[in-house]
Amino acid sequence: MEFSPRYQGHRDDLVSIDVRGLERLLGTPRTIAQELRREAADRGARVHVAVAGTRMAALVLALARPGVTVVDPGEEAAALATVHIDILEKLDKIDENDNGDTRAFAALPIVKQWGIRTLGELAALPAPDLAARLGRQGPAWQAIARGEDLHPFVPDVPEERFESSLELEWSIEGLEPLSFVLTRLLEPLAIRLERRDRGAAAFHVSLRLVTKEVHVRRLELPSPMRDVRTLRALALLDLESHPPTAAIDRVTVVIDPTPGRVMQHTLFTRVLPTPEQLSTLLARLGALMGQDRIGAPATVDSYRPGAFEMKPFATDHDNHRGAAPRQLPREYEGATSGPRPLVSVLRRCRQPVPARVAIEGGRPVRITTDRPGFAGGSVVSHAGPWRTSGHWWEGKSRARVNGPGASSGMRSCRGNWNRDEWDVALTDGAVYRIFRDCDAGGWFIDGIVD
Amino acid sequence: MSLAPAHLESLLRTRQLDRTLTTALPPLNPHDEYAIGSTGVTALDAKLGGGFPRGQLSEIVGSRSSGRASLLLRLLAAATARGELVALVDALDMLDVESVAAAGLDLDRLLWIRGHVASHPGLCRDMNQRAMEQAVRALTLVLSAGNFGLVAFDVGEAPADALRRLPFTTWLRLQRMVEGRQTICILVGSEPMARSAAGLTVSLGVRSLDSGFRFRDRLFEGANVEVRVIRARSRLHEEAAVRLTTAVPEGV
Repeated sequence: MEFSPRYQGHRDDLVSIDVRGLERLLGTPRTIAQELRREAADRGARVHVAVAGTRMAALVLALARPGVTVVDPGEEAAALATVHIDILEKLDKIDENDNGDTRAFAALPIVKQWGIRTLGELAALPAPDLAARLGRQGPAWQAIARGEDLHPFVPDVPEERFESSLELEWSIEGLEPLSFVLTRLLEPLAIRLERRDRGAAAFHVSLRLVTKEVHVRRLELPSPMRDVRTLRALALLDLESHPPTAAIDRVTVVIDPTPGRVMQHTLFTRVLPTPEQLSTLLARLGALMGQDRIGAPATVDSYRPGAFEMKPFATDHDNHRGAAPRQLPREYEGATSGPRPLVSVLRRCRQPVPARVAIEGGRPVRITTDRPGFAGGSVVSHAGPWRTSGHWWEGKSRARVNGPGASSGMRSCRGNWNRDEWDVALTDGAVYRIFRDCDAGGWFIDGIVD
Repeated sequence: MSLAPAHLESLLRTRQLDRTLTTALPPLNPHDEYAIGSTGVTALDAKLGGGFPRGQLSEIVGSRSSGRASLLLRLLAAATARGELVALVDALDMLDVESVAAAGLDLDRLLWIRGHVASHPGLCRDMNQRAMEQAVRALTLVLSAGNFGLVAFDVGEAPADALRRLPFTTWLRLQRMVEGRQTICILVGSEPMARSAAGLTVSLGVRSLDSGFRFRDRLFEGANVEVRVIRARSRLHEEAAVRLTTAVPEGV
């Protein structure tokens, strides 16, 4: 890399370097070769260097001859003529584009039986006859013997690291000054990402504190992005929730790149929030409400009343663009065949409200509670009871045992339940879902029909 | 030279400098899906002029069990069926996910924001007021992000005094945020709260205590509700009532 950015690694012990253009810098090809050898020796490696007009000639000569070998362009065939034919065994799999054309080993003894000893003798054989006897290997070997390249030179691309650091002369405290530093670090990284058609899949913010500790935060991004404002906003929101414990004197940002998203815009579909907008919104909502309070609802495979789970809200809905709009259940489509009912929904009390229920003739006749907003009243109409129970093999549900705070996230899906449910209309003009806990014997309001 | 009030109002209406000062907005094209969001109920759409208007604050009000949540979920389902993203600020965290699924909503397109409301605030009487303000901030964040098809703020079970204690400018600010955008913003409550900031307000009520709720053979089948437009700025004020029925889906 220090000599030329164009290099191709074939094996651990064999590298091709394109040295065209280095004459102005280092001098003649022999000088270049000697400089390479000296540099390698300084690093403890003993190398053999060959410089030629073609890559194949240079490779063969470097393998065949020790020290420094320089061949003028056009003289490759003559230089290779005296090299022993056994060199072909050392050329196995030197090229990732090799389709097995240079595989010598099965046929090399045959060629030796013919009395061929050098690459020059091999190159002098009639090509059609050689191909007829050895197949496509024959012409490939002859090309090698003449020093011709079988495949173009494909330089290795070094892995690029997207990292930026800033040492601060004066330590900073608080997020506001850090915001300016992050912007300064992210802007050149965003430009480099754009040039490489990359987005950030994750990025790391490393803050060296005045106490010599390092405060590191890693953010996984929901989709590849490189917008500086979005990245900065996400980093600041995260640091707001996980602030450093001391002032900062060095800021480092490292980005894990990934191929950018391919987006095709259309004039005929509705605009949706971009992944960047949604990522920022979700981060802000998470900081405000708590990460466990935001997301997309999901049903669970359970008969437990009110069971649900929350999953992260997707930020990339592009795959839905252009798709035909979903059809609502047929009974909700218009009034072409008569008015269709709305679905009667329930408002769930995450923590069922304890109630006092007066029973007559096996049915509730009056319900009261101590909870503000649930005054209760006499029962006008009722439906029930309907028994529901489950998970009898588990203990009591922790949601009821631990009180209001237990089911701040997903409603508890553990513990058994055994209840008789009623739907009752009260004189306060509302319909409630109530239940009697058959095990504990208490009555509760589970929800309100609305 | 002083301008006559009528002349001044005419100038303002022409230049649309401040819509809050005008008494009526130009009628919306009921077939323009970029101006109107269909409710999914044809009879209701016909009375509302195509549906709920975009870029305005609208309200669904009514007493408990009047069908507010049912109508709200229908609106959300219709929006997700159109391919839109929707958000629900559930200030009191009372959404029933089974009901949402039964209403035909695409759950992956619903951003559900669950509020914190303490069942027993105890000595901290301001706790739920703070929770209400937090829910309003969440609503503000969602509206600021933009490009949601429908954003709902559900405070249907919140005490009326908790809503009255919110600054009146709250609703004006929200109305400004949604103005000119493609977002339908719905406030669900027990009484109108947005006042002059509201564009369309519909009131729901059960027809009567005896015939409103349908109980038959140990089953609660649903309710018969009336939907009435009590305020509409984008069209002439019209007293319109639509009769709808709600039905409990199977298995719920």
